[in-house]
Amino acid sequence: MSMNVQPDLEFIRAMKEAGGDTLKKCYQCATCSVACPLSSDGNPFPRREMILAQWGQKDKLITDPNVYLCHQCGDCTEICPRGARPGEVLGAIRAYAYKALSWPTALADLCSSAKNLPLLIGIPAAVIFVFWLISGGMHIPSTEKFANVGYGHFFGHWDFRWLSKNVLFIDIIFLSAVAIAVISLYKGVTKLWSGMVATLDNKDVAYRPSVVQFVKLFLWPALVEIVKHNRFKECTVNTDRVKGHLPLVLGFIGLFIVTIYSAFTQDVIGIFIPSMHGPISMWNPIKLLANVSAIAMIVGIGILWMNRTKMEAEGRASNTFYDWFFIWVIMAVGVTGMLAQVLRLIGIPSLGYISYYLHLVSVLMLFLYLPYTKFAHIIYRTFAMAFERYRESSFVRNPLND
Amino acid sequence: MKKVYGAYLCTGCGIGDVLDVEGLKDTASEAGVDMKEHACLCGADGRSFIEKDMSENGINTVIVCACSPRVMQENFQFGEQTITVRANLREQVAWIGERKEDGSIDDFLQEMGTDYVRMGIVRAKKAELPVPYQLETINKKILVMGGGLAGLTAAKEAAKAGYEVTLVEKEAQLGGKALGWRKMFPTAYPYAELEAPTIEQLIAEVQADSRITVKTETEVARIAGSPGQFNVTLKDAGHATEWDAPARVTVEEQDLIAKGEMEDPNKGFKKYTVLNPDGETFGAVVLATGWKPADVSQYEHLGHGSLTNVVTNAEFEKLAKNGKVPARVAFVQSPGGKDNDQDFPYCNSVTSMVTLKQANYVIEDNPVDGQAYILYQHMRTPGNAELFYKGMQAKDGVFMTKGSVTKVAAAGSGLAVTVEDTLLGDDLQIEVDMVVLAAGMVPTTASQAVINLAYRQGPAFMDLNLFDGYADSHFICFPYETRRTGVYACGGVRKAETMEETMDDATGAALKAIQCIESANRGVAVHPRSGDQTYPDFFFSRCTQCKRCTEECPFGALDDDEKGTPLPNPTRCRRCGTCMGACPERIINFADYSIDMIGSMVKSIEVPDDDEDKLRVIVFVCENDAYPALDMSGMHRNKMNKLVRFIPVRCLGSMNMVWIKDAMSSGMDGALLLGCRYGDDYQCHFVRGSEIATKRMENIGETLGSLGLEPERCAVREIAISDYDKVPAIIDEFVEEIIEMGPNPFKGF
Repeated sequence: MSMNVQPDLEFIRAMKEAGGDTLKKCYQCATCSVACPLSSDGNPFPRREMILAQWGQKDKLITDPNVYLCHQCGDCTEICPRGARPGEVLGAIRAYAYKALSWPTALADLCSSAKNLPLLIGIPAAVIFVFWLISGGMHIPSTEKFANVGYGHFFGHWDFRWLSKNVLFIDIIFLSAVAIAVISLYKGVTKLWSGMVATLDNKDVAYRPSVVQFVKLFLWPALVEIVKHNRFKECTVNTDRVKGHLPLVLGFIGLFIVTIYSAFTQDVIGIFIPSMHGPISMWNPIKLLANVSAIAMIVGIGILWMNRTKMEAEGRASNTFYDWFFIWVIMAVGVTGMLAQVLRLIGIPSLGYISYYLHLVSVLMLFLYLPYTKFAHIIYRTFAMAFERYRESSFVRNPLND
Repeated sequence: MKKVYGAYLCTGCGIGDVLDVEGLKDTASEAGVDMKEHACLCGADGRSFIEKDMSENGINTVIVCACSPRVMQENFQFGEQTITVRANLREQVAWIGERKEDGSIDDFLQEMGTDYVRMGIVRAKKAELPVPYQLETINKKILVMGGGLAGLTAAKEAAKAGYEVTLVEKEAQLGGKALGWRKMFPTAYPYAELEAPTIEQLIAEVQADSRITVKTETEVARIAGSPGQFNVTLKDAGHATEWDAPARVTVEEQDLIAKGEMEDPNKGFKKYTVLNPDGETFGAVVLATGWKPADVSQYEHLGHGSLTNVVTNAEFEKLAKNGKVPARVAFVQSPGGKDNDQDFPYCNSVTSMVTLKQANYVIEDNPVDGQAYILYQHMRTPGNAELFYKGMQAKDGVFMTKGSVTKVAAAGSGLAVTVEDTLLGDDLQIEVDMVVLAAGMVPTTASQAVINLAYRQGPAFMDLNLFDGYADSHFICFPYETRRTGVYACGGVRKAETMEETMDDATGAALKAIQCIESANRGVAVHPRSGDQTYPDFFFSRCTQCKRCTEECPFGALDDDEKGTPLPNPTRCRRCGTCMGACPERIINFADYSIDMIGSMVKSIEVPDDDEDKLRVIVFVCENDAYPALDMSGMHRNKMNKLVRFIPVRCLGSMNMVWIKDAMSSGMDGALLLGCRYGDDYQCHFVRGSEIATKRMENIGETLGSLGLEPERCAVREIAISDYDKVPAIIDEFVEEIIEMGPNPFKGF
C-alpha cells in the first residue's frame, strides 16, 4: 500500500491545542505498544498512531477503530520514556475526530474551543429565554400555584386540551436539538463505519450482516460490555476512574428511561388525560428512579471531577477544554435539576424558576452539543466496539483461511 | 658505572606465607647477590630499609623481589642513577598458589619463586643505565597543515601555549569549509538554538597572533627528518617541484630499477634522504587538511547528477548560506534502499546532525508552509546533541521516519520520493521541491599522501586497509596519533566530526605535538612508552643490510643511508623493539632490554632433567595487555599452572626467535607467546607486533621440525587485557598439550 503524503499542518496545530502538545516528542520506541492491550503484532498501537499524528495524517486517524477503542487508561502515558503522553494524544485525536465527523461544521468548530464558552452557554440561554418570552409564561408563579403545578406552566398554560403549552414548547426546543444531534451522529457514524471498513485487510466481504444480525451480534454485546465496564477494570494506572464512570453511566441509563417514560406520558397519554401533566408523587417508582439516577450521576461525575483534578495536579493528565466542558455540563445538568426539585418542594418559586431555567439551558447544551463534545464518545465508541466485534467475526474473517 | 647489587625480598602480602624465605635467599646468594628480607618493603620503613642498605654498601642496582612491576612504581624508584629490577613474586607466584595440604611448602611453587629471583638477578646484571638520545639541535616550531577550523584552532592553541606556529593553507583564504556554513550546532545548554559560526573571529585571532605565521596558497612539498628536526619544503599550491615527496620504492623494485628493468618512478625528484638546505625546520606537525564532500552520483536511484534539485548536504548548505531554501525538502540519510541500512560512507554522526540543522533552515525560511522530511535508517546524535535532536523533533514542519528510500523521481515541477518500510506502516510517496542527500566527508588522505613524507617507507601513512583511508593509528587508545611519530591528525582528516568536536580535536592534536617536541627535547619516547629513555642501539659493523628492521618498523623510523645501511631516526621511534625482534644478526638492543638479557633470563631458569612431572614452559608475555591480564588473574587469586615461567617483553614484535632456541636448547619443553589480537580489530599498541611474531613463529616451527622437535611446542595466543579470567585455562590447555608430547628430548644435553 502506498500513500501519498501531504501532512496537514493545521491538524498538528489542532492536536497541540487539544492536549496533544507532547505529540512530537514520540520517537517511536513502541514502549506504549508493549503496554497497550489493543496493540497487535501487525498493528502497533498507539505507536503507529503517534507517527501518523506527527505526520498530520488525519484521514487515517479519524477512521482508525483503535483510536475510539482506547479508554485512555493512561498506562502508555505512564511508561512513555519520552514524555510523549500517547494517551493524551489519542484523547486529542478523538476530540479532533468528533469535530471532523460531525455536521454542521460551524457548530462543531464552536464546541472545540474554550474561547467560545460565552457563545456555547449564551446560545441555549438565549433560545430558552426567547421561547420563554414568546410563550407568554414569563412570570414567577404564586407559592400556591407553584406548589400545585411546579414548573408545569413554565412556558405558560392554555386550555387547549390536546397538548399542554409547556410540553409543546419543550418539544419544539428539545426535539429540534435532538434532531440536529441525531442527523449529525448518523452522518458521523456512517462516515466512521465506512472509514473503518476501509482499514480492513479483507474489503471483499461476501455477506453483509442484516440490521437484526448487526444489533444482535455486534451492537448489543458492545452495549453489555459498556455497562459492565470490563475494559475500565483492565486499567492499571487509572483504576479509580471506574468508580466514577460506572455510577455515571447507570445514572444516565436511569434518566434515559425516566425521560422516555415522561415523554410518553406527557406527549401521548397527556393528550387524553390532561391530569398527567404536573408534578408526580415523590414515591412514584419513576420519580424514585429519577432521583436515584440523578444522585448516581452527580456522585459519578463528582468522582470523575476529583479524579481528573488529581491526575492533572500530578501531571498525569493535561487540562483540556474538551474534557472539562463535558464534566461541567453534566454536573450542571445534575445540580440544576436537583436544585429545581428541592426548591419546588420547599416552595420558593423565584429561585426555583431560575434553577429550572438553568436546568433547561444545561440540558439543551448536553443534547445540542452531543455530537461535537466528549459526549459523542457514547455513540462513536459504541460503534467502534461493535466494529471490533464485526472485524473479528466470520463476516470479515474467513475461518477457513485463518 | 660499576654495578653493586642488592636484592630485597618482601615477605608481606602472603609471599612469606607460601614461599620458603631462606630458600629464596640461598638462590640469590648462589647467583652472587646478597638478599635481605623485610615484612613490608613498600612502606616507609621498608623504603628506608632499602635506602639505608644502599648507602651503607654503595648499592646502585636493586632487585626488588615483591609485587608486580606494574604497581608501587613510585615506592621503588631510587633515583635516575639507580637501576631497579622487579621480580614478580606476588601476583605471579604467591597469589596463584598455596602451601600443600599438610602445611609444607609446595615445591612447585617454591621453584617458581626461585626462578623469578634468578631471572630478576640476571636482568639486573644485564641492564645498563639508559642515556637518553639527544638531538644536536632541536626546533620547537609547529607546522600546521590546513587553514580550516581544525588547523586554525590547533595553531591558536599551540601559540597560546607559547610555541611558534606556521600555518600552511593551499587556498588563498583561511577558514576552509566552515566559511560556507550558515549556522553551527548549539554548543551550550539547552542545546536548542543553532549558533552563528565563529570562524571569522578565529581567523582574525590567528592573523593577529604574532606567534603564528600564515602562508596561504602554499603546500607542503615534502617533510623529511624526524620530530624535533623535520626538514620541510614548502611550495606554491598546485605546482610540481623537484622537492615533491618521492613515491615508495620497495626492496624488489629497487633491484629492478638498478637492473634497468623498471623505470624509476622518482626520476626528477630529489632523493628522499637529501635534506633541503632551503627547507624550513619544524619540531612537529599537525595535520588538519580536512575532508572533501563525497561524490554520491553512484546511487542512481537517488538521482544526484541526473535530476535537478537533488543536492548533497554540502550543496544545500551553500544554498542556505546564500539565500532562502525551498519549502518542501526531503533529507535522505541512507543510500542503500531496501538492501542495506547503512548511512552514506564517511558520515559518522555528522550527517544526522547536519540534516537536523538543515531541516531547521527549511522551517526557518518558510515559517508558514515549511516541511522538512527526514528519512533515516539511523539518527546519530551523540551526547548533548540528543537535546538538539529532541528540540528539532518537536518543531512543526519537521517530519521524521525510519524508512528505505527506494526512488527519487521527477514529478511535475518537483520531485517524488518513494520510501518503503516506514514507521507509518505504509510506503510513502512524498512530493517535495528538493531532495538533500546526507553525503559523507571523505578524508583528504583517502586519495592522496597529503603528509608527503620523505621516508624510506613512502610519502603516505602506512595503510592497513582497515580504516577507509583515514590516517591509521590506535584510534581509541591514542587519538590524534598517526603511525608517524611527530605527525598528529585532527579534524575531518581524522574522523568525520562536527565543528565543536573539531575544536576539541585540534586542541588535543596541538597538545600532542607539544608533548612530542618536549619528549624529543628530553630524549625520551613520546608514546605509548612515554618517558622511556632507552632507544634501539645498532651495532652496525655486523649489519648485513638485510633491511628487515627497515621494512618491519611499524613507524617508519628507519631510512637508508647512502650505502644502504639502515639509518635510525630515534625521535621517530616508539621503542617497541620490533627491529630488535626482526634482526637475524641480533645487533639491535636497548640499554635495559636486549637479546642477551632475555636470552640469559631464559637460561637462568632451572630445568630439572630427571623429573617428568616438572616440565618447564617458557611464556613470553606482551607487557601492554597480556602481562596486566596475568597480574589481574593473580589479584583475583586465580590458580595458575606452576610449570610455566613468564617473561615480559615490550611487544611481541620484539620477540627475537633466538630466545625460543635458547629455551629449547636449555631443555625447556615448550614456549608460548601471549600477545594482543591482530587483524581487523587489532589491539597492539605497536600496530602489528603480535602479527609479526606469529609469522616469525611459523618460521621457527619449521626450524624445530628439522631438528626433530614438534613444531607444536611453540605457539602464539592472542589475549586481551580483559581476558584475565580466561588466561589460566589458555595456559593450562597449552601445558596439557606439552605434557601430551612428553619432555623435550634434548633435555639434559
